[in-house]
Amino acid sequence: MTTIAHATIVMERSYNASPARVFAAWESVEARQRWSAPADGIRIVYEQAEFFEGGSDVSRCIEPGNEDYVATVNYLDIKRDKRIVFAESVVHGNKRVSAALISVELTPKGANTHLALTLQIASFDEAGMEAGYQFGWSSALDNLAKEFAL
Amino acid sequence: MSKRHTTHATFVIERDLPHPPAKVFAAYADPKKKSKWFGGPPEWDSQHAMDFRVGGKETSSGGPPGGVIHKMSGEYWDIVANERIVMSYEMHLGATRISVSLGTTEIKPHGAGSKLIYTEQGAYLDGYDDAGQREEGTRELLGQLETYLNT
Repeated sequence: MTTIAHATIVMERSYNASPARVFAAWESVEARQRWSAPADGIRIVYEQAEFFEGGSDVSRCIEPGNEDYVATVNYLDIKRDKRIVFAESVVHGNKRVSAALISVELTPKGANTHLALTLQIASFDEAGMEAGYQFGWSSALDNLAKEFAL
Repeated sequence: MSKRHTTHATFVIERDLPHPPAKVFAAYADPKKKSKWFGGPPEWDSQHAMDFRVGGKETSSGGPPGGVIHKMSGEYWDIVANERIVMSYEMHLGATRISVSLGTTEIKPHGAGSKLIYTEQGAYLDGYDDAGQREEGTRELLGQLETYLNT
């Protein structure tokens, strides 16, 4: 019998950049490949990148000594400079470990941008992927700040 | 008007059903069976199509005669026979996308029957819908499932 853990995680950040610049850092697959790797030694490689409503991404998270995590994303709702909503499923080795609905909301705050990331997760390996999402995304959102440091 | 806002919410609905898991699962997995209970009220002109496999799509649309079309479009993300179905789906009212959701259906053996647990994790967009209305609509839908299973 399988056990599913459902969870909602909200992360918020403020970036020293306009919503248009923050949005562009999501839209650009080269930028995303750079900032979404959660730690040194972990690489994100995109095999398919279609950033438009109805489009799909396939990316591989490669960590030495571990089987790849392969994420498939379907973009469901994209409002330029304002909102990105997508569904994502992750396969680890040959096992599907999670499905999630992920919302990114961008709000201008003076010269800065407030970002709210909401992860609504169904984790199929007890709460393992909930912890994985917490680690992966909090690191990625911290990295994203570096995109605007120039 | 370009104001955007998103409300996130989760609701869970449970049903004890006097039918074995395989029968309940078949009511979701078999397009002919699912179209008997899944959709709007009988007076609506409704259309339903589904491809029940991981990566497969489902669409259901309909509306009151002369009224706005309600359209559901979804995709299956995970299927475990007789145990679980995970899908994402979006709802449109006419041309407006009003929500996107992740819906998990779990079916567990329970005595001589089954326990059905439906969990919806939703993002309700721009104030057109909310979790309360969606939960009420989903309860009606599961009522239609129970009626179908009992006949």
